[in-house]
Amino acid sequence: MQEFDAVSLKIMWDRLVSIADEIVLSLVRTSFSINVREGYDLTCVLFDARGRTLAQGTYSVPSFCGTAPQTLQHMLRRYPAETLRPGDVVMTNDPWMGTGHLYDINVMRPVFRGDKLVGFTMSVTHLPDIGGVGFSATPVEVYAEGFRMPVVKLMHAGKLNEELLELFRFNVRVPDENVGDLMANVTCNEVGGRALLDFMDEYGIDDLSPLSDAIQEQSARAMREELLKIPNGVYKNAVDIEGIDEPIRLAATVKVNDGRVAIDFEGTSGPVRGAINVPICYTRAFSYYVVKCLTIPTLPNNEGAVRAIDVTAPQNCVLNCEPPWPTGGRHAVGHFVVPLLMGAFAQAVPERVITEPAMMTVFSVQGKNREGHDISSLFFLAGGFGAAKGTDGLSVTPAPSNMTVVPSEVWENLTGIVVERREMLADSGGPGEFRGGVGQEVVFRNDTGHLLTVGFVGQRTQFPARGLFGGQWGAKRTYFVNGKPVHPKGRHVLQPGDRFSTHEAGAGGYGDPLKRPLERVLADCREGLVTVEGAKRDYGVQVDARSGGGQRIATAAQ
Amino acid sequence: MAFRIGVDIGGTFTDFALIDDSNGRVAVHKVLTTPRDPSEAVLQGIDELLAREKQPIQQVVSVVHGTTLVTNAVIERKGARTGMLVTRGFRDVIDIALERRYDLYDLRLKLAQPVVPRLLRREVDGRLRADGSEEQALSLEQVLSEVTNLRQQDDIQALAICFMNSYANGRHEEAAREAVAKRFPELYLCTSSDVLPFMREYERWTTATVNAYTQPMTDRYLGRLESELQRRGFTGAFLVMTSSGGAVSAALARRYPVRLIESGPAAGALMSGFLGVLAGAPNLLSFDMGGTTAKGALLRDGQPLKKYELEVARVHEFKQGSGLQLRIPVIDMIEIGAGGGSLAQVDERGLVKVGPQSAGAEPGPACYGRGGKRPTSTDCNVLLGYLDPNFFLGGRMRLDAAAAGQALQSEVAKPLSLEQDRAAFGVHEILNEDVARAFRIHASELGFDYRRCSMVAFGGSGPVHAMRIARKLRIPDVIFPAGAGVMSAIGMLVTPVSFETLRTRRVALAELDAAKLDAHFQPLIDQASAFLKQAGIARNEVTVLRRLDMRYRGQGYEVEVTLPAELSGPVLMAAIPELFRKAYSETFSQTHPDAPMEVVNWKVEGIGPRPKVAGSYQVLGPAGGQVDKGTRKAYLADKGGFLDCRVVNRYALKPGDTVTGPALIEENESTCLIGPGDRAQVDPRYNLIVRLAY
Repeated sequence: MQEFDAVSLKIMWDRLVSIADEIVLSLVRTSFSINVREGYDLTCVLFDARGRTLAQGTYSVPSFCGTAPQTLQHMLRRYPAETLRPGDVVMTNDPWMGTGHLYDINVMRPVFRGDKLVGFTMSVTHLPDIGGVGFSATPVEVYAEGFRMPVVKLMHAGKLNEELLELFRFNVRVPDENVGDLMANVTCNEVGGRALLDFMDEYGIDDLSPLSDAIQEQSARAMREELLKIPNGVYKNAVDIEGIDEPIRLAATVKVNDGRVAIDFEGTSGPVRGAINVPICYTRAFSYYVVKCLTIPTLPNNEGAVRAIDVTAPQNCVLNCEPPWPTGGRHAVGHFVVPLLMGAFAQAVPERVITEPAMMTVFSVQGKNREGHDISSLFFLAGGFGAAKGTDGLSVTPAPSNMTVVPSEVWENLTGIVVERREMLADSGGPGEFRGGVGQEVVFRNDTGHLLTVGFVGQRTQFPARGLFGGQWGAKRTYFVNGKPVHPKGRHVLQPGDRFSTHEAGAGGYGDPLKRPLERVLADCREGLVTVEGAKRDYGVQVDARSGGGQRIATAAQ
Repeated sequence: MAFRIGVDIGGTFTDFALIDDSNGRVAVHKVLTTPRDPSEAVLQGIDELLAREKQPIQQVVSVVHGTTLVTNAVIERKGARTGMLVTRGFRDVIDIALERRYDLYDLRLKLAQPVVPRLLRREVDGRLRADGSEEQALSLEQVLSEVTNLRQQDDIQALAICFMNSYANGRHEEAAREAVAKRFPELYLCTSSDVLPFMREYERWTTATVNAYTQPMTDRYLGRLESELQRRGFTGAFLVMTSSGGAVSAALARRYPVRLIESGPAAGALMSGFLGVLAGAPNLLSFDMGGTTAKGALLRDGQPLKKYELEVARVHEFKQGSGLQLRIPVIDMIEIGAGGGSLAQVDERGLVKVGPQSAGAEPGPACYGRGGKRPTSTDCNVLLGYLDPNFFLGGRMRLDAAAAGQALQSEVAKPLSLEQDRAAFGVHEILNEDVARAFRIHASELGFDYRRCSMVAFGGSGPVHAMRIARKLRIPDVIFPAGAGVMSAIGMLVTPVSFETLRTRRVALAELDAAKLDAHFQPLIDQASAFLKQAGIARNEVTVLRRLDMRYRGQGYEVEVTLPAELSGPVLMAAIPELFRKAYSETFSQTHPDAPMEVVNWKVEGIGPRPKVAGSYQVLGPAGGQVDKGTRKAYLADKGGFLDCRVVNRYALKPGDTVTGPALIEENESTCLIGPGDRAQVDPRYNLIVRLAY
């Protein structure tokens, strides 16, 4: 293996990451998809000629951790490397070969230097639409979810596959924007390929493989050093979450043995009749994400970084569903891999983990705005973020991924639905020595002058975010219509003037609340994040509301 | 005879530039900043400079001032105790913020705290709809009782008035302001619709609260400075530099202190543009590197690219999203955690890392001999022979190369089994790469092609790194301006008086005609003109730029359309769809011919006459002396090691002189490193223009 010292490896590696970052940013700038523009729901990866990762863009959501190398292998099985020609572009949006749902398009382009294949570039973006029923949990098969493409060639030696494009246009709601985004992927891969060639010229490199070996080795070594700090053992955890008809159980066993981590999801419920099933690629991505957060959050993604991590799941469970189970809303279940594994790792590295977060609400509205134009929009709202040793959870912050929030003024302007209140919810954060993040109350009024249909999708309505080490639960999530709690999965038709609202959940607390320093409890009371009653009930602190002072009336058992 | 003075307060030094408008000659000066009361250094420096140049203050027609006062107050949380009046139900908006994490992998993320604590935010009844119509009348009774309470119980000095949908109609905010002003004339007040009537409550209110928070101190500071200048006999215009690259009257600066944030670097970028145009290179990268950070800006036709977003007081070093989100017109700049004091260390991957942590001024780099034990980029530049330990700051400070070597050995070279020279060059080159990367990324965010641009390099550490950075970016030439150490102060002298503002009004293009278009712009134009008049600019001297943020109906993203100044009336109206399509296709490479369009934001920039700087503008003059200072061993990577390198005294160079690299061209505050084959030429204004050998 060619030697790279700590200077040249650093410079070349970071340069490759920067090429990937540039592609990511140019895609963000030109994308029609709101998820891409505001939520960085995309990624870009550079590979050597053997299909091994050189670099991945820094900014991307956790669902893309480690998926692209697998996607590339699927593509190369269909079109072996030796059959590819300059100007070929290969793509797929298959949930099992790609990143877990049809919305994500994976676009790959081989990079040739002269007629020699030297590498690949791949970009993945969330498309504005993919046809089918649209964004919904209702499908019971992937066929209803939209247009599904196996590994196909979008371009043959630089020539566009017009028939395929026509077929694609025919199957989606906003064809111009979809094709725009698709072609932006094609362009950015071309630009990325050129940048990779410039890089090779600048550093006089004919073959990227020794460099990718060095990158993988260095990542593996750094990761291994960190993993060796995690005590050997078998750590188990299970979480229950709301399903379609009945609760779903997610279970995990984490085995740590001398710097190797084996994660298995034995004990997890089977697939469900709703679009919240999770292909294993997505489960694996979130597993890698958790290990990365707990070890080296800044380590660039590549196969070396995850070489010591094995992820397995029983065949055809909800975290390893097979076709044709529907997967459009795979995040609704898949995101829970994070608290599930955090709970297991809590037994090994209690000082590093965070408590269960409150996750988020997605709700949809359909109707007409005041001007009489149709509206059909999604609105996201976050609950509280998990607490950690030494840190209270952040209030009203999404986890484990990001989301796109719509400011109240923008919302009112576009929809004619009035926001009456947006306030942090006192006592919703799980009590603990370190308090869970609080949720929020948001109240909307149908001021459109028309009927309005509202549908909620959110977890933690039955199962609150749990605490760790004596920390308590966060408050549950509740949806209301005209002040009365309603079924969390229902769709509701609102008359003009009707109100709907949500109490966003709080995150779990960390450690015994009776150990929370008195001044922190009093500060929370002054700020209004904990009520006087809450202080007494949860923290054993009697607060004098007038002076803001107080004293402890219950103490932690020693 | 007419003189103008530019003053820029930096962390360590306050810089001064005095221009003689009759001949374009610039005299510069520097004094130590006086952090407790920055006006002391300002007055001292002006006195000294005028005494040295033997000019009475009566000859000075204007003083343009840039200050870090406001930025520092927000970072250090030294503003006034500030209250907030807010629409009932919305007091938590500035806490809830964007509901977004800026780093998805950091489990202990911290967010910037609002400058008004939750306790000092009070809700009142009264509601406007999105179209600005009234749904519920404002309760002035509640307004007064809440403010009375805040004043008496909490002793607030300033108040931000922030109501929902005030971007569409500011009358509730204005009514509250009037009532409060009458009852509490001593309170500093600001309304969110006055600060910037932009749709998006979190950013608008954060901007308004930061404005209120910094109003009392700005008012006191500028008031003191102004009266001291008057006492000395100054009768000219006292102007203050803003973050958008325009100057405003002191009165306006006191009303909108939030617009003064990052004004010093803005002046530097503006100066780059001025020099670039003079040198026939209007498309530029402006690169300014000091002790802890580097600042970069991209310029088209001599004008820095702008935006309406600024983040201040980041809680995580250089992480975008970790600060308070403001909406004010600014020059679009990148800030990189790389400078002379940047620490070199082994990172979590087992590789060399440089910055963003910095040794700061104390203890500073190991070679300063002030107790610093950790190696910095300056230490490495000494070890590489780029900086002369006996000629640092023109010889005012001696550097300890041995201490630099020890620090580098123990922290980087030994742990990574690197030769010392290799480690030192590695640190130098990694910093270059970090800066180049930041420029590349910024350019791709903006779709800016920098490959045919020139670079203007300045700041204490910029010139020693610029050439290799330029090479990485494939840039053909680099301009090292004369007076690089006081670029921002000189930049104040080329800054026009201007005022820029916007407001949000979503209107379908189909509903507009020429008269309505003018009616939408007119209040903004009137406002800008009135403000410019305060600064002594007559209406007929004002150039008005009109821009629209437009989109296709139903899309969530706008593109900016600049309306040609020469078009008006129905002709302009008819041209808008095509202007929009052109701007749109530049971003998205396509258009939707039949889709309805709408206007979202209306923007106006009123610009006063550009200061006429004589074509004979020059900072340095003929100084004479020996050009050659001998040779020094310097590490030349392309030659594979240390070689004798020519050392040149920049002050002895005359217009037309050329220097072929490798060479080290020294001036008091910095050293230009010129690589083998690169060719430097001194232009008539004593700027060094270096063409890279490729």
